[in-house]
Amino acid sequence: MARAILMHEKDNVATVLMDVEAGDPVEIAGAATSRIEAACPVPFGHKIALAAISGGKKILKYGETIGIATSAIRAGTHVHVHNLKSSRR
Amino acid sequence: MARKKPKAAPTFLGYRRPSGGPGARNHLAVVSVMDNTNPLVRRICSLRNDLVAVNTSFGRGLMGEDEAQHYRVMGHHAGHPNVGAAIIVGLEPKSAGYIAEIAAKASPWMPIEVVTIHEVGGTLKTTARVLEAAGRLSGHLATARRVRCELGEILLGTECGGSDTTSGLVSNPVTGMVADRVVERGGTVVFSETLEIVGAEHLLAQRAADAKTKRRLLSAARRAVEYAEELGVDLIGANPTADNIAGGLSSIEEKSLGAIKKGGSGPIAEVIGVGERPSKTGTVFADAPCGGVENITSLAASGAQAIIFSTGIGNPIGHPISPTIKVTGNPRTASLMPENIDVNLCDVIEKGLSYDEAAERLYKELIEVLSGKQTTSEVLGETEITVSRAALSL
Repeated sequence: MARAILMHEKDNVATVLMDVEAGDPVEIAGAATSRIEAACPVPFGHKIALAAISGGKKILKYGETIGIATSAIRAGTHVHVHNLKSSRR
Repeated sequence: MARKKPKAAPTFLGYRRPSGGPGARNHLAVVSVMDNTNPLVRRICSLRNDLVAVNTSFGRGLMGEDEAQHYRVMGHHAGHPNVGAAIIVGLEPKSAGYIAEIAAKASPWMPIEVVTIHEVGGTLKTTARVLEAAGRLSGHLATARRVRCELGEILLGTECGGSDTTSGLVSNPVTGMVADRVVERGGTVVFSETLEIVGAEHLLAQRAADAKTKRRLLSAARRAVEYAEELGVDLIGANPTADNIAGGLSSIEEKSLGAIKKGGSGPIAEVIGVGERPSKTGTVFADAPCGGVENITSLAASGAQAIIFSTGIGNPIGHPISPTIKVTGNPRTASLMPENIDVNLCDVIEKGLSYDEAAERLYKELIEVLSGKQTTSEVLGETEITVSRAALSL
């Protein structure tokens, strides 16, 4: 099964450890919710949303804010520059 | 990343010193005062197999903080806990004396000899004089024995070079977990690379132990951004780079957080300059450049008995005095350049090895290297020193 890794217990995204296709079950190492279904393709090293994130909410990785959601993000979808904005700009 | 109790014992076999931290090595260092004595030092070190050359670019025509930094870094190499005795080789006695003085202050117990070309007369006679000194000092070093030392007595340097997606995912977080173990045992961890905290300096500053440390962290990052602006580079706007974005990094905060993971998670006790010795234990940030060799030179001068060097795409380099453990989580790097990698953590990505197990693997290697195991860069001689410049030469 495809795997993803959670960097910190507070995080709402995990990083996938192999290329993932829509519909693939993804096992989340280190998370309370240990499995999620990918809703779209997510490439190796990219982030997958572990739960729904509303637009304007913080995206957490390493237990810290890495950016703000620019639109509503569904659980299991790819989180990247198309729906995450740095809070430094 | 909740941690279990460490399985490997938090002790290693090191050289007890009358004062200061224990040594992981007992080198006889031959220190070149300036660039103009490098060939002489290299030639002398080729004549015996127990000498380690500490060479430097520059040294002449330095002023102010730049000059102070040069002498501090070279003096702290001579007076390093992994050095059992040092011979300072210079052109003339004044500059050689500065380095000997800084070394003696760092390690008052250390036998230090100063030999200069102007006093002895020519490089051939100087070679003979240094070899005589090496013979005397080597007999003294040969009597030293390793004894059990506590992990909490060491200063560990952590560095990342040749970073990629796997650095922030595997090798940096695992390095940080080992760093945290050193701090938990009462030791010190120094991490640096000011450019790499830019973007997450506000988050790092929240970990500052006091207001002064917080100010220094923020001003270090601000200076890097302003200096880049003077050169016409927009650090915040240009990061993450196109490569970073392709690799999965979505913001400058994410990139910087992945980089600073190598320092662990402890409160930042202090901010120090290039090659300065910390005055506190715990997690310390050094305001030093990112280039691999410059950075390990600064970490070694800060007194690191060992350095963990996290790499993504791979880098062969290590430090001649401070054994440098190369760790990667990138499967391609581990198979492409295996003789340059000390700890292979590809199993995290390929086989689901947990962070705890990965940290245990790296921790065991650290204990072995502190106890005398040679690192890949020591075995191959892929070692180098470059002292960072604080200004232009005049």
